[in-house]
Amino acid sequence: MSNGSDQSKPLTINQRRWRKFKGLRRGYYSLVILMGAYLLSFLLPLLINSKALMVSYNGEWYSPAGRDFLKSLPLVSLVAPPSFYSGETFGSAGDQAEANYRLLQQQWDEQGSDNWIMMPPYPFGPNEDITLAGNEKFLAPFEADGNGFARWLGTDDRGRDVLARMAYGFQVSMTFALLIAILEYLIGIPIGAMMGFFGRWFDLLMQRFMEIWSALPFLFLIIIIVSFVEPTFSLLVFLLVIFSWLGIATQMRAQFYRERSRDYVAAAVSIGVSTPTIIVKHILPNTLVPIITFFPFAVVGGITALVSLDYLGFGLPPPTASWGQMIGVGLSNLRQYWLVLVPFSALFATLTLVVFIGEGIREAFDPKVFSRLR
Amino acid sequence: MIQYFIRRLLLAIPTFFGATFVVFMIAQYAPGGPYEQQLNALKKGQGSEGAGSAFGTETMAIPKSQLEALQRYYQVNKTPFERYLIWLGILPRPVNDYRATIGEPRNVGGGLRVIVQRGGDGSYRVVKADDPTTVLDGWYVDLSEEPNSVWVYQRSQRGILTADFGDSFTYRKPVTELIASRIPVSAQFGLIGFIITYVVCFYLGTQKALKHGSAFDVVTSSIVLIAFSIPGWALGAVLLVLLGGGSFLELFPTGGFQSSDYETLNLMERIADRTWYFVLPTVAYTIGGFASTTLLMKNSLLETLGQDFVRTAYAKGLRENRVIWLHAMRNSIIPLVASIGGIIGIFLAGSYLIEYAFNIDGIGKLSFEAVLQRDTNVFFAFAVISILITLVGSMISDFVLALVDPRIRFR
Repeated sequence: MSNGSDQSKPLTINQRRWRKFKGLRRGYYSLVILMGAYLLSFLLPLLINSKALMVSYNGEWYSPAGRDFLKSLPLVSLVAPPSFYSGETFGSAGDQAEANYRLLQQQWDEQGSDNWIMMPPYPFGPNEDITLAGNEKFLAPFEADGNGFARWLGTDDRGRDVLARMAYGFQVSMTFALLIAILEYLIGIPIGAMMGFFGRWFDLLMQRFMEIWSALPFLFLIIIIVSFVEPTFSLLVFLLVIFSWLGIATQMRAQFYRERSRDYVAAAVSIGVSTPTIIVKHILPNTLVPIITFFPFAVVGGITALVSLDYLGFGLPPPTASWGQMIGVGLSNLRQYWLVLVPFSALFATLTLVVFIGEGIREAFDPKVFSRLR
Repeated sequence: MIQYFIRRLLLAIPTFFGATFVVFMIAQYAPGGPYEQQLNALKKGQGSEGAGSAFGTETMAIPKSQLEALQRYYQVNKTPFERYLIWLGILPRPVNDYRATIGEPRNVGGGLRVIVQRGGDGSYRVVKADDPTTVLDGWYVDLSEEPNSVWVYQRSQRGILTADFGDSFTYRKPVTELIASRIPVSAQFGLIGFIITYVVCFYLGTQKALKHGSAFDVVTSSIVLIAFSIPGWALGAVLLVLLGGGSFLELFPTGGFQSSDYETLNLMERIADRTWYFVLPTVAYTIGGFASTTLLMKNSLLETLGQDFVRTAYAKGLRENRVIWLHAMRNSIIPLVASIGGIIGIFLAGSYLIEYAFNIDGIGKLSFEAVLQRDTNVFFAFAVISILITLVGSMISDFVLALVDPRIRFR
């Protein structure tokens, strides 16, 4: 940032808020760490995967992990080629199942063959279980499995790698929570704004509707709905959004209700500014503070809702890696402490970062100055 | 003010019907309800009696009479809206429903034998078998799908509005009895959690306000917010692993509500036993509740401390303690008192996630299992009670607010 612009042009309020936020180190570093981890998590198929990054076999090159990566990207996934190669492709005659790259690598090394395999840094996938040779149930952290590979954080009740599932679970949780928070805003803000701005029968009607909506035992209703509609990622997002937009709508309603009686709105009306312009360009910027300060807590809500649904078994369809499902497994296997502690630590760390970001944002956007004697 | 509360009460009525309607309708479309479960049981029964062909069980027809009885019992042929009204008790539901052959005596319970007679004009009347001249009141007749046969029944308007929740499908007991037996368990968590939350929040909020901006303030803010974010049951899982005999210490039991030999203990031992089982779930249950009330208390006290009358109190030379605890506090606890409507929620407290994790037989676990097993009557009862508690709770809050703060005037 150059300081030259400071003198020529005063900072806008949002620039000042951003500076203040950057100055609050705890919140700012939390944001950097969380966003960094989230962006990195998109590279997970290349970092933590049981498929090889690169295979050179009889002069041909393969990259199943690279193809996994393409498949994990939105939109690109529609045209991405399959990442499946059977064992036969790499010379294990008659093996129609997926190639076991870790074993192949060992074999080729021992034979001193010209073929070689480069594995991802942590060569275990989130969904490979005991059906794959060498995987074992309930391996403790750093215990070696049947093939002599050490599992850093152990394996679960089906022999799946806990570290891999935790990492993939992070991506799922964050994507899910961010989507929910954004969609919640896209629904809640316009509705709340219109309620506050237009008032009268629209407000009254919507208030009754929201009262009904908020009195519903919504987690139970989601469980019921999920039991007769196939639970997919987008369905769960949809269901949680239609039950969670109330909070922000209520806040926006109060804000708009207060703002619309201000003089600047009356002035805008009197010179003939159109209603949509007044709402979007004049009032909305003045209501940004609750919108932005509430956002991290909407993300927290999304993460915990998904974790709880997954724990009860009504969340994302198996075998999706999810923290709720992992803690649930841990609860029924209390002697295997890592099954609870690992996903809980990940959950705890993520929520703590989000809360720190939220506190920083609130401090920067809504500094409450209290003056008191003594 | 009375006018305001009457209006509040009247507005709560449509809300109650709206919310119960939504719950009822969504539950209607859940497959595998009691009707379907009974139907499947009948089909299986038929299959095992028959030739034993695996395919036969699926297509085996249920005797029409049984099917019809089942359909009548579950009002399958009514529209969902009619079923909703019947459930509420606005429309009557058939009770003591018996199939009878026209003109033949039929036992209808209570030692009563009746005969259904067809009149000349095609109408039916129900008469006593011993004395065919007495026409019985309160008995109705529906035509059956089978020839020469009718359903003879009485009508009842019992429903939600008369606090009749019907019988549980899985437990074969009245739902009211079932819920009443679970309430003490959940209410214990609720009551203790409520007291702990309010004591801690009052103290912490006050200290935070008095030390606003200090390290103590910043650290406790983060702690209560993080505690608020962590799902209580997940923390409970960690506590179980660390302290509940999972992998490390074995200080507390793994789950449940009381020891199996609870009945043989004397009073002191009982209290100790309960407490022992109680600690971990209570921690898990209360941990998330501190944030909002603490911050409410803090902000409210801070705001009051900045006001002119506090300055005046200081100016006239009052001691600091007196100013804070007597002058400022009375004005600051108003929002805290206003949230007291939540106390009614203690009866349903102990969220089902925590009861499920700790294997405690409270209301939450009961209703969660009811959802899983499609025990609709239990689930509906839980939904109705929780809707009522939400509505009544917010009304109590408003009422208390008006009582403690004479400045509040309702339009």
